[in-house]
Amino acid sequence: MVSTAAGATSSGAGLEGEEGESIWGEDDASIAETTDVELLKRAWRNEKAAPEILLFEAGLVQRAREQIQLLEETVEDFVENGTDDLIVSLYQMDLDRSLFLLRSYLRVRLQKIEKYMFHISRTDLWNRLSEQEKKFSKRCVNAMEKHLEQSVLSRLPYGYQSILKQSISSEEDDMVPEPKLDTFVFCKSKGAVGAFQLDDVGDEIVDLVSDDLYVLRYKSIKGLVEGGRIDLV
Amino acid sequence: MYGRTASQLLRELDIADSDNLQAFNSDTCDQVIAECENHHLMLQSLIRKLEGEQLDIQTARNEDHFGAVTHHLSLLRNKRCLMAYMYNRAEVIRSLRWKVGAKLPEEIQEKLSFSEKEYFKNHSAAIESSMSELDLDLTVDMVPPKDPYIQVRVLDDIGDNLSLGDHSFSLTKNSVHSVRRTDAEQYISQGLMEEFFA
Repeated sequence: MVSTAAGATSSGAGLEGEEGESIWGEDDASIAETTDVELLKRAWRNEKAAPEILLFEAGLVQRAREQIQLLEETVEDFVENGTDDLIVSLYQMDLDRSLFLLRSYLRVRLQKIEKYMFHISRTDLWNRLSEQEKKFSKRCVNAMEKHLEQSVLSRLPYGYQSILKQSISSEEDDMVPEPKLDTFVFCKSKGAVGAFQLDDVGDEIVDLVSDDLYVLRYKSIKGLVEGGRIDLV
Repeated sequence: MYGRTASQLLRELDIADSDNLQAFNSDTCDQVIAECENHHLMLQSLIRKLEGEQLDIQTARNEDHFGAVTHHLSLLRNKRCLMAYMYNRAEVIRSLRWKVGAKLPEEIQEKLSFSEKEYFKNHSAAIESSMSELDLDLTVDMVPPKDPYIQVRVLDDIGDNLSLGDHSFSLTKNSVHSVRRTDAEQYISQGLMEEFFA
């Protein structure tokens, strides 16, 4: 009961022109997919399950923040007007949940940046970060470099002091931790994707039916995730 | 045997479970670094010897060449072990910032090296400035909320007449309050309160 109430309040506060009964009566599913809260939930789930960092949902985060602020004001008004405690706590609950989603989404991203800071700052994953995340990433790298420099690297012989390479004779940067893209993820497609080729060779073809659950290697469905055609769970 | 000392560092990482830090092993680190220095000296003297014999280092395949390769690879291995040791500890240290907060308790502090303490401070500062730019505290709300209010038991005298949210509480030891979860979270992570299940 609580969750429906919370869902209804959030869509009411979030999108214009949605009014209680008529819409919920028609088609729950399609409405549920278009509210910002649902979109944020999806972005959050994808971000949590994907081994590498995904594109920052700038517009969505902006909208979510505005709506959260609106909700906060509503709750404050309710408290001042002495509205029924139950109503207030339902709104508060909805507010808390949205805030959790937003915080967790941003947090998961920062923690991914922490984990793969060197990899991200050297590849085009860099362009997936928000301005503020880029700053964070730079500061992470600086702090880490300084730490490794002074405790180990500066004390090693010449030619072995690079943070990215094992030695000067390494041709590539072979000391950079990278996300494991061939890890398995659970995913569900929204619409029927149809026959999908899992590897370059074309040996394995899966017919992705909508709303079915699959366990596949992340790297083979990477493009579908980025294109928003499939969701991670 | 070459590389054995360095592997002890990794074994130490392995023994401690992922959330637990052992005291920073600066003795072993120093030993491994000295070993690296040694390998480097040996490597250079072998290269000089090869050059003295007018042999091309790239193509010569005598015992000195393979000796040099062995020293080079041992050095690389030592470096990888050292870096893995530091890097993995740094990961745990970072996670502490999220779990424990900006101030580490004494028993954790004393397990860190000087550089690690500095790293914690710098990294903390990075997280804090990031959160202040966002104007959103990301270290609360670590688990999905079930109820806006929770029951907490106060574990230590925190203060009289402290305002949490809209109300003020007198947070004396062992008292139980019903407070907003978000207000209580900071105290819980500092170990001053615990969630109370009646």
